[in-house]
Amino acid sequence: MADIDEDAPQVPELSAVDIDLSDETQDFRFLNSLSRHDANTSPKIPKRGEKDFEPHATNLQAEILAASRVAMHTAISVLRTHYPKSHQIAHYDVDGGGSYIDKPTGTFQLTMGSVRKGGPGKANRLWLLPEETLYLLERGSLDVRWPVELGRNDDYGRHGSEETEGIPMSLQGAYAAFAGMGPSPPTLEQYLVYSGLKRAGYTVFRAGTDVDNEPHPTIDSGGNRISGPGPPSGFDFFRGLWSRLDLIYTHSDPPPNTAFGPLVRPGLYRSYAHIYRMLHLIPFHGPHGPPSDTPRGSPQPEAPFKVFYHVYKASPGFRKSAPGPPDFRIAVVSARETALPTLAQLSALLASTPPSPPRQDAQLYQKLKHGYRNVLLAIVDQGVVSYMRVADAGFGCERIYERKKGSGKGLKKGGQRRGGRGEGSSSA
Amino acid sequence: MATAVTLPVPISQVAGRYFLYNADVVTFIRREHHITGVLIGNLPQAPQQNIFSGIPSELMPEEVRLLVEKKVAYVIEDAARHRNAFRNMSGSERMAVLAAFDKQGREAARKAQNKASKRQEEALKRKGMTAAPKVRNDSRASASSEAGVDEDEILFASPANSFPTPTLASTASQASVSVNESKPFGITPAMSYPALSPPTPPSESWPTSIPEAPPSYPLFKYLHDKGYFLSPGLRFGAQYMAYPGDPLRFHSHFLAVGKEWEEEWELGELVGGGRLGTGVKKGFLVGGTATDSVSKDSNTNEGLGDQGVRAFCVEWSGM
Repeated sequence: MADIDEDAPQVPELSAVDIDLSDETQDFRFLNSLSRHDANTSPKIPKRGEKDFEPHATNLQAEILAASRVAMHTAISVLRTHYPKSHQIAHYDVDGGGSYIDKPTGTFQLTMGSVRKGGPGKANRLWLLPEETLYLLERGSLDVRWPVELGRNDDYGRHGSEETEGIPMSLQGAYAAFAGMGPSPPTLEQYLVYSGLKRAGYTVFRAGTDVDNEPHPTIDSGGNRISGPGPPSGFDFFRGLWSRLDLIYTHSDPPPNTAFGPLVRPGLYRSYAHIYRMLHLIPFHGPHGPPSDTPRGSPQPEAPFKVFYHVYKASPGFRKSAPGPPDFRIAVVSARETALPTLAQLSALLASTPPSPPRQDAQLYQKLKHGYRNVLLAIVDQGVVSYMRVADAGFGCERIYERKKGSGKGLKKGGQRRGGRGEGSSSA
Repeated sequence: MATAVTLPVPISQVAGRYFLYNADVVTFIRREHHITGVLIGNLPQAPQQNIFSGIPSELMPEEVRLLVEKKVAYVIEDAARHRNAFRNMSGSERMAVLAAFDKQGREAARKAQNKASKRQEEALKRKGMTAAPKVRNDSRASASSEAGVDEDEILFASPANSFPTPTLASTASQASVSVNESKPFGITPAMSYPALSPPTPPSESWPTSIPEAPPSYPLFKYLHDKGYFLSPGLRFGAQYMAYPGDPLRFHSHFLAVGKEWEEEWELGELVGGGRLGTGVKKGFLVGGTATDSVSKDSNTNEGLGDQGVRAFCVEWSGM
């Protein structure tokens, strides 16, 4: 189910690759080196571990701390200003909860917002979701205006465009409006996941707002395309069918007689595989079909265990009108309000994702880890996000006894290199 | 650095979460009350990274409760306030607010302009050209860390670099000043005040309502009273991470988990926590409010907090 790898070799220390600087509060004095964009030098990322173990009441330490705090205060006090040339004004859409821009300019519209055909307003009006608006405002790229309600003892409102301008929305107002008002505001957890991924350079859309809301077969073909040189959907279907036939076939190889008599009858056997096949009694969950644990009555996943965002890696040819199948599907969960998902919840969640089988020529552990369907859980605890990947692994499909001799080497290598798992799993 | 903060400070509540938008307040409660919150916002000056974050600061319910109990802060419901205020604003009020924004925008434009011309002079000087005589030779421009103005554009917009005479350079910058004078910058402030009338703290009926906090609150308060800085601990699979000093400068010492005194819990959690804590060079700390019988026992009374909290540290001994 989850990508548990007890067999992973013992990693003595966190290697440099595993260190995630956003894990801990960093010293803001290093922000200057990050944001100073000289053309010649690439920004320096602060090193981890440049902190002290404990306070020891020296002036030096106190001074450094004071300097850090000043740096932090300066950094977080920066006022968001909009240079006239790139001043982009959006209007808060009270009914929809998001906002719209009448004359969108800038590259953000390649990966954000949507143009509604036949909607109100100008033809190329760009509609932004609440989280998109809030993210852009926070980024300093958007000046959002409160709506002007005309006819409310309003002496000024009707004179011209200059005077019907709404009041610029503050960051505080934006959080109130886009996380607290409107018909479907994102939860704060969802917004944090959105902004975190956007800052990291991903393209993020709400699940269900694009073509990907279709039932599985259409996605299936694309899903395979993304996960490597996989076969198209039709083939996949037949392969699923084949594997089932295969099962039936192998079971009936010598007619099983489990109630009476030995599992393996006395006779002449030329390979162990043959015998193992006869020992194969217990049916297992087949990952090729939809997960079988889904309760019949409610096959639809329910929030929060429901895919909320589709995430795409940054790619040059991306078009939001035809985004294709996403690279990741993310469900957002609040750590303080949610318990572990039940099997039914998890199955329903996985069933809502298209099949994404591993490459058949991959190594055993990679195949197991990749699974046949997968989803990311973003677990948010008070502003701190952890991502977990949950995959429907096909343990029953990987027959150890059928492996070729040489692949034993691959087995050892398989589990070794792995990022993004629990940080604390280092060994004693 | 931080300007004075008027107490008590308002904490904004949106959809059940708590936020601070005032950088001065964030710095103040961090320094004076050891409450850090988690900065969750984007820094406009460095927007494409996740290492440093900015305003707002999200506070845990525990932190809010502690501040409210100390009468340092009070909670305001932000969404309703904003909805009412901005929808009922009259035209004249709106014009006044817009004028204030316009003034601020002009100020920002002028500042950016000054900074740009300063940089220009610096650049000229670096290239060995003498700048105009009235240059202020003070500190090297710390401009680069400043607001999201497109500095390069301003810096290289004028052809001054190719002209050797300083007079030309200065006229060029003057010219661009006058161009930009007419165009104020757009401003997106961090806080809604003064456009929105500032909230008034509750007076007699203090405290109006103490916010709910999870059952682990006694442990939180106990550790906080002992001088620890606490932050959410999910990253390390705990409830809190306890820092001996400001997390800006110190590594955390403990992974803390709050328990009920009589609570039954899995031994596996103890082993798991102990191993994890030791593995990341921290202690695994379990604590909770001792029941009456325990706290009355004079032998064990040492080290109990106000509310009779006891804490234990577990280490994986790895024999």
